[in-house]
Amino acid sequence: MTSARGARTRRTSTRRVRATGLLLLVTALGASGCSSGSPSAAAGSGSVRIGLLASLSGTYKEVGTDLRDGFQLYLDSHQGKLGGHPVDLVVADEGDGAPTALPAATKLVKQDKILAMTGIVGAGSVAAVSPLLTENRIPLVSSNGRPVVKDVSRQWSTSFMSDDPGAAIAQYVHDTVQGPVFAIGPDYQGGWDELRGFTDAFTKAGGQLANPGGKTLFTPFPQTNDFTPYLTQIKNSHAKAVYCFYAGGAAVDFVKQYAQSDVAGIPLYAAGFLTEGGVLNAQGDAAKGIQSVLNYAPDLDNATNRSFVSAWQAKHSGPPTTYAMASYDAAAVLDQAIAAAGKNLTPETLNTAIGGLGQIDSPRGTWEFGKNTHSPVQKWYLRQVKSDGRALSNLTVQDLATLGN
Amino acid sequence: MRAQLLTGLALTALALFAVPAVLADGTLAMLAPAAALGLPAVGVSVLTGRAGLPTLGQGAPFAVGAYATALLARAGLTTGPAQLVAAALAGALFALATGPVVVRARGATALMITLALGELVATAAGRWTSVTGGTDGLAGIPPVQLWWGGSPLTDDTALYRYLVVVTALALGVTVLVLGSPLGLLLAGSRDHEERMRAAGHRVGGHLLAAYIGAGALAGLGGALLVTEQSYVSPADVGFGTSSLVLLAAVLGGIGSPLGALAGTVLVVVVRDQLAAHWPGHGPLLLGALFVAAVYLLPDGITSIRLRRP
Amino acid sequence: MGLIDANLVPAVDGVAFGLLLFVAAAGLTLAFGTGDVLNLAHGTLYTVGGYSAAALCDGTWRGLLLALVAGTAAAAVGGALLAALTAPLRRRGHLAQALLTFGLALIGGDLLSSAAGGGDLPVAFPAALNGSVLLAGHRFPVHRLALIAVAAALAGAGQLVLTRTRAGALVRATVDDPQMVSCLGTDPRRVHAGVLVAGGALAGLAGVLGAPVIGPGPGSADTVLLLSLVVVVLGGLGSVGGALVAAVAVGEVQTLGVVLAPGLAPYLLFAAMAGALVLRSRTPGRRA
Repeated sequence: MTSARGARTRRTSTRRVRATGLLLLVTALGASGCSSGSPSAAAGSGSVRIGLLASLSGTYKEVGTDLRDGFQLYLDSHQGKLGGHPVDLVVADEGDGAPTALPAATKLVKQDKILAMTGIVGAGSVAAVSPLLTENRIPLVSSNGRPVVKDVSRQWSTSFMSDDPGAAIAQYVHDTVQGPVFAIGPDYQGGWDELRGFTDAFTKAGGQLANPGGKTLFTPFPQTNDFTPYLTQIKNSHAKAVYCFYAGGAAVDFVKQYAQSDVAGIPLYAAGFLTEGGVLNAQGDAAKGIQSVLNYAPDLDNATNRSFVSAWQAKHSGPPTTYAMASYDAAAVLDQAIAAAGKNLTPETLNTAIGGLGQIDSPRGTWEFGKNTHSPVQKWYLRQVKSDGRALSNLTVQDLATLGN
Repeated sequence: MRAQLLTGLALTALALFAVPAVLADGTLAMLAPAAALGLPAVGVSVLTGRAGLPTLGQGAPFAVGAYATALLARAGLTTGPAQLVAAALAGALFALATGPVVVRARGATALMITLALGELVATAAGRWTSVTGGTDGLAGIPPVQLWWGGSPLTDDTALYRYLVVVTALALGVTVLVLGSPLGLLLAGSRDHEERMRAAGHRVGGHLLAAYIGAGALAGLGGALLVTEQSYVSPADVGFGTSSLVLLAAVLGGIGSPLGALAGTVLVVVVRDQLAAHWPGHGPLLLGALFVAAVYLLPDGITSIRLRRP
Repeated sequence: MGLIDANLVPAVDGVAFGLLLFVAAAGLTLAFGTGDVLNLAHGTLYTVGGYSAAALCDGTWRGLLLALVAGTAAAAVGGALLAALTAPLRRRGHLAQALLTFGLALIGGDLLSSAAGGGDLPVAFPAALNGSVLLAGHRFPVHRLALIAVAAALAGAGQLVLTRTRAGALVRATVDDPQMVSCLGTDPRRVHAGVLVAGGALAGLAGVLGAPVIGPGPGSADTVLLLSLVVVVLGGLGSVGGALVAAVAVGEVQTLGVVLAPGLAPYLLFAAMAGALVLRSRTPGRRA
């Protein structure tokens, strides 16, 4: 290589470095041009800005869409206002979890300057955005994910604690079945919590697990979608009933294979997610007769639920899910708390106002925030999959326990 | 080399002072993920572009660095330089331990071995609940201090400058190393492996050195991740992250460390800023960016040149 | 004997899963071999088949047949699109292809989930396939047995095409020596485009056949892509026979392995793959 060529190569490479660097800066600066307009005055112009974070792409899109639509339904049926203020709802995509949820939440907090945040499908996403919200003193009224958190001072949940469903149904299963029950669920955090809720309460009530050694069977997740060997274990255990927790695609596979297997005749009890929402359509007749526990059923007989369901069905096909209901309630919580916070509306006063709320009138029946967990003290219902005349639905059988603290 | 150094210093100064002055309030925090992901991307660029060893597993040393930082911070070690050294060491040690099985492989086999390593580490992070907090992750991480006894960096601008300085230093060291004889040996091993061997060079040793360097860069990135978001979970370090940093490095023009950083900034801006205007379609926009870049920038972002003055 | 008897059901299931993976991945390995194309949109072609099944299967045989035809055709069109888009990138190596095909996978996934809704979609196969049969004292799902039969037939037919036809000979020749093929008067690029179309068709076909195993949903493209890559690399790039062995091995790891070692299940697949690749990369003279 001649020295002249070498010098030219060097110059070119320096120019490239400069160009790249400049592009880097321009892109970074362009980021500001993309920020969504004027920062909102939290209460200045009378309107309030609420950030809704939900999975609108990826694996949990169905639940995320329900969260968005439930909140929007409340706004639509209340003239687009919460606590008398017009609402500027900023929707952001949580994606599949923490890596996408946190940047989206950062944008809501730092650029959109929201008054409060709501939504959030995944417990991991809630855990990821918690430090950000705590540092910026923004209250969170989450409507699905609820991880174990140490400091709940600014965190409120309208859904439930993961071990509540199992705990709520345990006594009923014990009284009804009168024999050993087989407990089975997926091998991850959600599965561990859900199943622990059941087995702890069930054995405390004097029940006996049919599982060998009394240990819950956790099936590999997400590797397993063929449950045949586990169904054989259930058959060999001589269980009188089965309690399970599965959600999403695993729920469809489990229910279909259960109905085709030798244990099809054994009563199946479950946390309500097994047959909630879209998965029920996918399961079809295989789901008939399954009894599940949840904090909501679309046929609950109260005035709030009747208007909620009819408003929902005017816009969407199929009955509303517990996810949509919990997000509808998050809007109701914000509605009451913003009104209660009065003239001096800041994230801080809003948070205090949420803490002062009493009973919330909800499609699930009335509930209130527990003092320790900031999650609902609420009633749980036993539901059974039956045809409601047009399609399969989870119809209420009876009330179960009221839980929460 | 001197021109590069000056340009680098000028860029760093611009990033340190001009960007915060011009950007709208609150946007600085949105650029922070680019620093955390940028360093692993720089590592990929070195490893894949210079040494010819493609990797889909940089999430692994990234995880090791991030969890090491998080655990140290929770134990009270909140001084920035100490965290950075510890995270870089942790990433480098991980690479040293896994290197012997990686540097033997080439091409798609190397890609899949590193992918497997990345998945195994992310899975372990999700299941070793007592140490890592499981899939809910580790929270309650105190903010970083610039120096022993300094005040915690909580202000957006101060945090941003910390990230810029660390990134610029790491990038500078990387460029210096690549300009040294080791950099030439790496390029030689990539293009003429057999000839290099015949000439008596220990190709495996050079590759291992590059792999360890990339591991240290990823570990540093992990430390920045924890500093920036005060939280870490297995989702932060899995396949999504490994593939994102590889694609960002390709986008930037494979083999160019600065390009890898630019590619990461571009990906982060599209994913977090542009996609915010169309919630739910972030993947679509990111996909469009990748497809467009393949045709419009065949040699990556670094192929854009300034006209001769 | 007792051990075999107790695990017969998952073992058979592993064969079904493995053969499904083989049908899905065969196109990917040939694309690698003939065109040196790293196709990260391959999983999306599988889901094109799956979504076709969800849309067209109505519990009748006619519906299933319709879905098979439509899913295969749609994915073949996808393969043709890929062939057209990757053609200009021939000289730019795997990384440019990875960027392009990953981008296409992101776009395709977004379009499919926007069109079909976000959840896992139900696929109504004919009732006869939904039941189970008692064989040798064990209950096997009919669908899995049918899948084994169909996939094995497809593998056999594919083998015949590759070894007994002129087109097959050209494909094999292109894997071994593309320059020789062009000397013989055939443009290897045309062979390669044909392989991408045929591979896409196979992936779409697998998406319909395998809907009860890996059904249409937001995560299925990634799952199929990852498993296919494992199969292709384990089997040796471009080797159809190797892919078959690797696919059944992966199927068994994911079913039998998971049953035998439930505690290790989350690590099993990648640990086994890494182990196999490391062992192989130590063997002198064999480098993928």
